[in-house]
Amino acid sequence: MLKTLIRRLTEPFRAALLDRDAQDELAHHVGLAVARKVEAGLDPREARRQARLELGDPESTREELRAGRMGFRLEMFLKDASLAARTLRKRRAFTAVCVLTIALGVGASTALFALVDAVVFRPLPLPDPGALLSVYDTNLARSVSRTGITSGNLIDWRQRMTRLEGIAGYYTMGRTLTMGLESEVVLTSQVTEDFFGLLRTRAEVGRVFTPEETRASLFNSAAAPVGADPVAVLSHGLWQRRFGKDPAAVGQTLIIDRRPFRIVGVLPEDFPLPGRDVQIFLPWGIPKTAPRDQHYLSGVARLAPGASIREAEEELKAVASGLASEYPKTNEGWSAALVPLQEDLVGDADRILFLLLAAVGLVLMVACANVALLSLARGLERAHEASIRLALGAARGRLVAQFLAEALLICAAGGVLGAMIAYAAIALLKDTASSLPRVQEVGVDPRALLFACAVSGIATLLSGLPAAWRQAQAKPSPDLLGASMRVGGVFGRRTLRDGLVVAEVAVSVILLIGASLLVRSYQHLRAVDPGFDPRGVLVAPIFLDMAAYGGGDKSRVYYEALVDRLEALPGVVSAGGATALPSSPLGPDFERPVWPAGGPIDENAKDHAWVRMVTPRYFETLGMRMTAGRAFDGREGPEGAPAVILSEGLARRLWPGSDAVGQRLMVDYSTAGTYPYEIVGVVNDVRFTGPRAAPRQEIYLAHAQRPYLVLNMAVRTSGDARYLAPAVRKVLHDLDPRKPAQGIHALEDLLGATYARDRQAMLVAAAFAGVAVVLSLLGVHGMLSHHVRERRREIGIRMAIGADRRHLLAWVAGRGLRLSLVGVLIGGALSAALGQGLAGLLFGVRLNDPASAVAALALPLIGFLVSLHPAWRATRIDPAEVLRAG
Amino acid sequence: MAAEKLDLLILKTLALASLHGFGIGQRIEQMSDGVFKVTLGSLYPALQRLEREGLIDAEWRVSENNRRARYYAITAAGKKRLTAEQKDWLRVSAAVTRVLRTT
Repeated sequence: MLKTLIRRLTEPFRAALLDRDAQDELAHHVGLAVARKVEAGLDPREARRQARLELGDPESTREELRAGRMGFRLEMFLKDASLAARTLRKRRAFTAVCVLTIALGVGASTALFALVDAVVFRPLPLPDPGALLSVYDTNLARSVSRTGITSGNLIDWRQRMTRLEGIAGYYTMGRTLTMGLESEVVLTSQVTEDFFGLLRTRAEVGRVFTPEETRASLFNSAAAPVGADPVAVLSHGLWQRRFGKDPAAVGQTLIIDRRPFRIVGVLPEDFPLPGRDVQIFLPWGIPKTAPRDQHYLSGVARLAPGASIREAEEELKAVASGLASEYPKTNEGWSAALVPLQEDLVGDADRILFLLLAAVGLVLMVACANVALLSLARGLERAHEASIRLALGAARGRLVAQFLAEALLICAAGGVLGAMIAYAAIALLKDTASSLPRVQEVGVDPRALLFACAVSGIATLLSGLPAAWRQAQAKPSPDLLGASMRVGGVFGRRTLRDGLVVAEVAVSVILLIGASLLVRSYQHLRAVDPGFDPRGVLVAPIFLDMAAYGGGDKSRVYYEALVDRLEALPGVVSAGGATALPSSPLGPDFERPVWPAGGPIDENAKDHAWVRMVTPRYFETLGMRMTAGRAFDGREGPEGAPAVILSEGLARRLWPGSDAVGQRLMVDYSTAGTYPYEIVGVVNDVRFTGPRAAPRQEIYLAHAQRPYLVLNMAVRTSGDARYLAPAVRKVLHDLDPRKPAQGIHALEDLLGATYARDRQAMLVAAAFAGVAVVLSLLGVHGMLSHHVRERRREIGIRMAIGADRRHLLAWVAGRGLRLSLVGVLIGGALSAALGQGLAGLLFGVRLNDPASAVAALALPLIGFLVSLHPAWRATRIDPAEVLRAG
Repeated sequence: MAAEKLDLLILKTLALASLHGFGIGQRIEQMSDGVFKVTLGSLYPALQRLEREGLIDAEWRVSENNRRARYYAITAAGKKRLTAEQKDWLRVSAAVTRVLRTT
């Protein structure tokens, strides 16, 4: 039976072979006939002639056989399909439920596939992307696993490395772009000489930088342009937005940070580095005397032909250790590491995506199981039809094909609808999951559609085979009066259905446990005290430029005026600024060595602290608490003694058990020298990059004493911070129309963004689990309903001879409970085994969290409640009617 | 020869022994004392049809002249069909004979 089915299904793929076989067979026949005649004494030629006359033309027979194969397939398929379509049309509700179920499964899995495909699998849109690497500095002694590289080392690396075709550095920062009367802050990347060359990127219009332009383009220590005749390359996005894709943009002049830049080219639309939000590229010539201790460049490299990443990394580490002995003061302990660029850009987003893909696969399985259950139940109703057809001489294969044709129609319709669902889901994803890398590249493309087709095909088999298999087992009915309907529980029949229900419940339990863990994890994350109070705080990053504010006191004067004006706004409680502010991605963030003044100086044992320059009421504005001493209060003038405030963790580490306030701290602030700062206060620790990361050791310097061009301004209001944005924008414009803020955000939103991934994973997993649970409950319900219908006669007889209704209720509902319990046990055991995959995503939750047990056990309870309905229906069966019908 | 009759004869032939196509043709001619002549164009499409319906099965073996040949065998379903049709045919043909003999 199965053999015939397989043979038939594979026939189209074996057409050539079958044709050759037919040719052989016919030739063999003719050969034997001729041989017979020759044996009988005929001349071979005459024998062949006669054979031909008697047997007919083998070629035309071969044609006929070929046509028979083709015609059979087509004819049978059309017959099956039209019969299937007729049957499905008659059962609208059944068809609709099945198609919707499959559509949900196909839609969800296609959307996720498109996402995974774009984010993880599709190579970067650059030539030979596999050879591209990210370069990082590492320092094991300081447990720095990955940080930026230095411009000083970059020059030496470039000269000494043979296994890398090139290494380039780039640095991304916000700058003010002025066109006409309008100013806006845009992200710019300054890139070193090799950058476009090693990425093998050509300009779409114009050209990229020449080596001469790059060498001539210098920046001072604040990364403000100082070279002669500056040039710039535009991103495709900016070109489209500001120039309407006019090729004449090349040659025009832009004002960036108050200096004119000549546009020399425009990059292609899909250029992926450093990110799609970077709008202007500037050349960056690095002088011979570049520093070796400022780790702020991003590094990108391309492997030399034939070199492996491991070999290249070995060589790079050797070069780095050579530099460490040549320049011990800056390079001691520093080494470097290489990471494939694609992997680096995706980060660890792939893990969560694969998990979700697995989850959606499970949902799809539940969907298929449900359709299979429904078809099985319907198959039961049609057992009568099947046995009549068998009795009339239908081949079993035809019955199987019939059922598969129905499944195919359902899944084809489900697939089309599913593709539309995927389309909508992806549009939604692009809006909500913008934190995902490369998410803008996602789309329902031919690959995703192909995937949807494949998934629909698998769904056809999964949902159609059980019922088809059952048909293959049907017996030709000896009497055509429907006796087969009355047969009670046939063993194979029930085990298959029960097995499907148990599997459905088990899969839903796995999803439910996973989702409950993610929900708990998210709750834990939200419960973490970030160390500041984001409610009512508005953040506006300001990037002053060197040309107007460099040198002297200009930036201090600007920011003091800005704070005064902001605090004068109605509704503002306080305002302050910091070079880097928790959860805000913008602003300089660096760490320097610190140690107690007068203490023993062991170079390798020095602590490091992240350095922030802050204005007086910054702590108050962010809602941070002074745990000792005082905040800056305006006494820290440019001429006063240098003052510092420590984070609690750092104070405890440097002065364990004693008061840090009043002590003196040495800070090796490379560009400004090393000298002691007086500790005036200690402030509580903050979780700077989000709740998952442990608090860092931080020191705060007074902005008045150490002016800085970049400050993230924070404004606390008594109401909703978002309403304050227009007023803040106006203050900035009044103060200097060419210095708008780089995006104004509520601190709550910024903090929320650090949870965004956890939140999205939780929501998607919860949605999947919900769908799976609903489907499996439908499965339990449907299975029991049919169980009751199938045994209608038996139930009627039982009731006629006095069976208790309560007993009957328990009998049916108990069955639902039993099956769900078995499913929960299996699902629980499987999730214990699969849970490790989730462990890395969880925060503060262990895999054996009690909440997941509660969630898992709630399922059989609901399953029981759901099964009460068919059980109740069983008690409504009228014995008299059943007996009369029998 | 009508297709159903040939099908019946093939099934009958194969019920006695598994044969290749040439053998089937020979047997039918022999058993019918040369009344039925089997051509390629009638035999092979019939075999294809019967195989499809699962009434006969085929496999490749080495034939008496040491060449690859396809041997056909009757299946359980084929035997059942043969019995049914044989009965039917005998009944019908007897009836037809009776009618024709009526003078």
